[in-house]
Parts: sequence; C-alpha cells; structure tokens
Amino acid sequence: MKRRDFLKDIAVGSLFLNFSPVLLTKEKNLPDLTFVQGDSPDLIAREAIVSLGGIERFVSRGDVIVIKPNIGWDRKPKQAACTNPEVVKAIVELSLGAGAKEVKVMDNPCNQAKRTYARSGIAAAAKNAGAKVLFPNPHRLKKLSLKGEWLKEWEVFTDFIEADKIINVPIAKIHSLSRLTLGMKNWLGAIGGNRNQLHQKLDQAMIDLASFFKPCLTVLDAYRILIRNGPQGGRLSDAKLHKTVVAGVDYVAVDALGTTFFGINPQDMPYLQLAYKKGHGEINLEKLKIEKRTL
Amino acid sequence: MKKERSRKYRIIQSLRILSQTVFFFLFIYLLLGTHFTGEDYIGRVEIFFHFNPLIALAMFIASRTLYASFIFAAFTIIITFVLGRVVCSWVCPLGSVHQFFSFLFKKTKLLRPKNTQDKKITWKYYLLIFILVSALFTLDLVGIFDPLSLLYRSFTVSLFPALSYGFDAFLGFLYSIHLSGLADSLAQFLETLTLNSTFRQGFFIAALLVGIVLLNISRERFWCRCLCPLGAFLGLISRWNVLKLKINTERCIECNLCNIHCETQASPFPQKNWKSSECIYCYTCGAICPTSAVEFPLKSEFEKVETINLSRRKLIFASLLAVVTMPFFRISPASKRASPKLIRPPGAIPEEKFLQKCVKCGECMKACPTNALQPALAEAGPEGIWTPILVPKIGYCEYYCSLCSQVCPTGAIKELTVEEKTKIRIGLAWIDKSRCIPYNLGTPCIVCEEHCPTSPKAIKLVKTEVLLPDGTKKTPAAPVINTDLCIGCGICENKCPVVDQPAIFCTSIGESRSERNQLLLPLIKEVEGSYK
Repeated sequence: MKRRDFLKDIAVGSLFLNFSPVLLTKEKNLPDLTFVQGDSPDLIAREAIVSLGGIERFVSRGDVIVIKPNIGWDRKPKQAACTNPEVVKAIVELSLGAGAKEVKVMDNPCNQAKRTYARSGIAAAAKNAGAKVLFPNPHRLKKLSLKGEWLKEWEVFTDFIEADKIINVPIAKIHSLSRLTLGMKNWLGAIGGNRNQLHQKLDQAMIDLASFFKPCLTVLDAYRILIRNGPQGGRLSDAKLHKTVVAGVDYVAVDALGTTFFGINPQDMPYLQLAYKKGHGEINLEKLKIEKRTL
Repeated sequence: MKKERSRKYRIIQSLRILSQTVFFFLFIYLLLGTHFTGEDYIGRVEIFFHFNPLIALAMFIASRTLYASFIFAAFTIIITFVLGRVVCSWVCPLGSVHQFFSFLFKKTKLLRPKNTQDKKITWKYYLLIFILVSALFTLDLVGIFDPLSLLYRSFTVSLFPALSYGFDAFLGFLYSIHLSGLADSLAQFLETLTLNSTFRQGFFIAALLVGIVLLNISRERFWCRCLCPLGAFLGLISRWNVLKLKINTERCIECNLCNIHCETQASPFPQKNWKSSECIYCYTCGAICPTSAVEFPLKSEFEKVETINLSRRKLIFASLLAVVTMPFFRISPASKRASPKLIRPPGAIPEEKFLQKCVKCGECMKACPTNALQPALAEAGPEGIWTPILVPKIGYCEYYCSLCSQVCPTGAIKELTVEEKTKIRIGLAWIDKSRCIPYNLGTPCIVCEEHCPTSPKAIKLVKTEVLLPDGTKKTPAAPVINTDLCIGCGICENKCPVVDQPAIFCTSIGESRSERNQLLLPLIKEVEGSYK
C-alpha cells in the first residue's frame, strides 16, 4: 500500500467513524436520555440501556471495558452511599454479552478499599457477573495532561486510559459542596493524588475530569437516593427509595435529569450551569428527548 | 562397644522440628488472618495467647480479675506438669525462631557451643519474680517480656511492615521491567492481606527483636535459656513430670557431646546434674549421643532430680527491686491527667484497668484496617509503652469496624458488636481556626464534613464571615463541630488537606470510658434549655 493511499483510507475511515454513530442515531431516532422506573434495580438498568439503543451501541466485540461505580464508602446498599450492586451487575453482564473481552470494575474509595468493595456488595456482584474487580493500585497511577481549564495535569489510574470504553455508573446523592453528587463528581474516584484539595474549586474540577474521561455511557443509579447527610448517609432514613435508573450519552444531561429527583432545577446547579456554558452538554430538559418507561 | 546414634531419638527430633514448623506457620497464618476478611466478625485468631499461663497469671494478679478465655492456659499447665517444658521446644513460635537462628549460627561457625555451667540461666527466674511481684502492686509488665507478646508485637509493628515495603519496592521493579501482568496480580493479592505498613516505633521494636536473636551467637537459644519468664514459669512447675532423663552408664563414653549441644543448659551429663526445669525436651542430646546412651524413659518411681539453684538472697532482691521500682512507674503525669494524644481504641476499658490488662501484643494494631493503632511511647506513662493508641494522622477509626475489640486476647479492649461500637466515643475533634482553609482563605473546603461518618454529621458547615489579608470580607461555609455527635474517630484529621499539621484534630477528651476526662458534666446536658 502506498503512503498516500494509506492516508486516504485513514481520512475516509475517520470521517465515517466520526459521523456514523450520529447517522445511526438519527436513523433509529434514539432518545437522548432514558428514564426507567421499576422494582428491580437489575431490570430497570437493563431496560434503560436497551431503550437507549442497546449495549451494542457502546460496546463492541473484543473491547476492554472499565465500569466506574461509586464504591466510595464503607456502607451497605440500603444506606445508598454506593452504587446499587445489581445495577453494576446488570451492566457487567450486558457488556460481556455484547462480546467485551474484559470488564473491569474499580473505584478509588474514601474508606479502605477492601471494606468498601465488600460491604457495598459491589465486588461480589461484579465478580459473579464475570467482571474483574480491581483495587486501586498506586503503582498504576500516572501523571497525565488533562487539558482541563483548571486541572492541567493530575495522577490518573491508567486502567481507565488503557480501556477501550468507559462506562460511568454513579449513584445520586446529596453533597454539601457540589449540592449533589451524580455522574460528573464520580470521576474523583478515578484519580489519585491530593484529591481533597480539589474541593477548593470543585465545580471546575468535576468538569475538567468528566471531559477528560469522556464515558461512552452514563448509567445513573437512583434506585435509592441519598437525601440527607451526604455523601455517606448512615441511617436508613437518610436514603429514599426512588426506583429509577437514568441512562444517556450526554453526561451533563444525565446529571441535569438527576437533579430533578431532589426537587432541584438543573439551572440552579452551579457546576451544571458552568458545564452547559462551556458546551459540555445540555441542561435544558425540554430540549432533550427523554424516553420514560415503567416496568 | 558398638557406636551407634539412637534412631528413635533422631526420629523424635525430626518430629519436633516438624511440630515447630507447623506451629510457627500456624502463628503466621493466624496473624496474617488478623484483618478485615469481608465479614464484620473475625474468628479466634488470638487463640495462642489463651494457652499462655504466664499472661493469665500476671493479669490475674495485677487486675484481680479472671478472664474466661484463659481457661486454655490450664491445658498448658497440665501438659507441663506431666511432660515438662515440651511447649518451649515443640510449640512456642519464638522458641522456634531462636532455635532456627541458633542452628544457622552454628552452621556458619558464628556460634561454637561449649560445655558451660553458666549462672545466667537463673536470670529468667529473677525476671519472673520481678514481674509477678510488680503485678501484685497492679503494675503489669508481662507484655514487655512475654515471648508471645514480644513475637506478635515484633511481627506486626516491624517485620510485616518491612516486608510490605519490600514487596512494594519489588512491585515497582516489576513494573519497571514491564512485567505488569504479574505485578498487577501481586498488587491485588497484597491489598487483600492488609499488611499495615506504617508504625512509629517500627525501627526500635525491630532492633530489639534483632538484638535478642543475635544473642544466640553467645549461647544457643539464649532467650529461652536465660531470659524467658514464661520458660521460667513452666520450669518451676515441671519439676514433677514423668519424663526424666536417664543415662545408660554402660554405654556412656563420657564424651560430653550432650552437655555441649544442650539447647538450654540442662546438663544431661552426669545424670545427677540434669535439671528438669531447664530441659525443654528438644531431644538433641538423645539424637546426638554417639552411643545411644541418653534416654528419656517414663518414670516408674519418684526420683529426686537436681533443681535449679536459685539464690534466696537474689530472689528477695528481685522482689524488693520490684517493690522499689514500682513507684517510679507511677510518678509520670500520665496517671494524674489524661494525655490529649492518648486516644484508646473503641472498647478500651478505663485507663487504670486497661494498663493492668493490656499485654502490648499488637493484635489490635494488626487488625486495624486503617493502620490507625500505633504503639504508645510516653503518652500512657512508662508502664503504657507499646499499648495501642489511635494516631489520626496515620489512620482513623473505621465507623462500622470493631475488629480491634474482637482480637484483644485479654479484654483490655472489651469485645464489641459493630452496633455497640458506633455508639462509643474515643475522643473529640477540634478545629484549629488559625489553620483551617475556609477560616483563613475564604476558600471552600468541606473535606472534614464530607468524611464525618456519623448521621447526623458531627461537623456542620456554617456560613462564617472571614477577613482576608487584603481587608475584604468573605462568607464561606466553614466547619463547626457538634460535640454531642462527635465520636472522635479522627477521619477528619486524617483527611484534612492541611497535611502537615491538620486544621482539625482529635484529642482524648470526652472518651466514653473515662469519668474524669470529660467536657461537660452529664447532669448539665440532661436539663432542658440549660447550657449546652
């Protein structure tokens, strides 16, 4: 093959790759967000992905997938401080079903990793579903250029960089600084370094990190949401059964819809406003095509 | 006469080595298993201690209380009564360490065993007397000298951390030569072991262990022979045992090999010099005898055996020394007023009783998931050296964890369920406003509040007006502590971004176990609308 032909092929190929998902989406007239309610976290998570066009839209045969749930705290599922294990399990199974070569599940928690992984139920659920559950390994941290507006460079777990696709699976919780912790705040668990200093300009940090990691899919677990004493809760009354899962590609839009579960208008969330203004995604819910289903 | 070494005793010797290996690895297995394994409750990983009669006795004398778990110590006493000090050379893991190194030093010619009649072997009895008489005056020093405490402490506080550091360096090397697949699996495995890697006195405690191991260069099993107070105790009760040495004088060629190689200077030859209190039944003499002259037949009739020659004067001196020394332990301010840094693990009983029961074994430090429990240096006074204290700068008390209370062998930390533990206060947090970020820079920082594990949170964020260096004012949300809700777990101090000297810190005041180390009298709180 001549060099010129090769370059031409690459150009054509990349053009196709660039536009084809858009074309496909247009063709099937897929929703921007799916909002599914029901009694089983497992089933509503599956339905949310199916109505978004199916997992095959995101996962290709032979992909290495990293799933990033929130496993931040040494709490049990009923306390709603970590992502629901059944939601994680459903996504692992779907990804493997779509032919993913390997599915890794990991987070960099605030409490001891071994405790949060075990007591949240996520390690067991993901392992049983066939995923590789990894403790954060400091040796795998690498200082990378994030090209963010505030965060120029930071230590990132290379598992996320080496993966073909990243799926973000946060839980919806109340938070004293960002008001809520949804999808974009979840990326603080994919990095190392002095994370506790990011709180000094948290909104911008969340935007910089989310646009760096760019998940192919965000599945927001709102089966139980934390309405008090966030982000850890504690008493069972701090959590509220909401029986909802939201899925979408536009991570800003997913968070925007998530705010409404707490009776908050997305426009009132400073970080979402900022993300919208910088063009990271949509926060005006009336402009989004949201497919609602109840199982 | 036909020269032949005894086959029987060589087999017994091999069995003894096998038994030592098994018990040593059992010790390692139980100690490595002392961590969060996925369940809230852990099995009896501290079981070795409950077979230790010296700890049981000293604790009983010092605290005047019996602890039911030590019922197993009766088993050790009966075994020793019937069979002699077999525990020392067949079971004791520290004994195995010493025997192994004695063997190593002999092989490397660093140690050349000789036939000595060294008076040093009596030291351990005087030490035992010293410990027991001190215990009579409520001063419990057994944890410093007890072989199990010493071994557990040394492994937890220095050997495992050093090993963990070594593994980490090795991982770094594997990654540098691009063996990341192997390194990844190894890293994941190590994470599941939770080898706490940071200890304040790790170097010092390692040096002590290395010191007593190096003593084996001077004499075989120097510790067991001259220093071990548990050995002394077992020696005293082994006098009437049924396994007595017998030398077949017809076969004996008086070569003295048995005396030279005796691990603990029990002087097998001549038979009348043999001391049953010193013999640990390692059967080295039986195996080494070139003419199979050494035997240990079951005793058929009572024979008078040589006893250890203790000087009555020195025994009285050791007792008097304990009496005289004891007040010096109590002149420290630690017994007058609680130290702010003396944050005890949750479930720790009141300080006075705690010091009488804690054997400084470090089991709690091994079990702690966050490496928070550290050996004390001076915080609890001289008698409290190496007792556990929580150092929030290193780790914090995990809210739903009660492992330290479960593994404590003596009940110095009362066993708690996770539910009970969450209600215990080990101290209180305080904010250093002169260092706190919102109070000084007007910049948001909610890290302490975010990590506070109680519900409702003990740390609240309150809009506070602060003056900035340029004269302008800002009203950031700044942390304020509700002392009614704070349990003193120290996670706020641990996670504070002002890393060198955290802007929020915990001290021991308010600890549930103490009556006097309190902020407010409970009666003030009970009255509605009163000062609170």
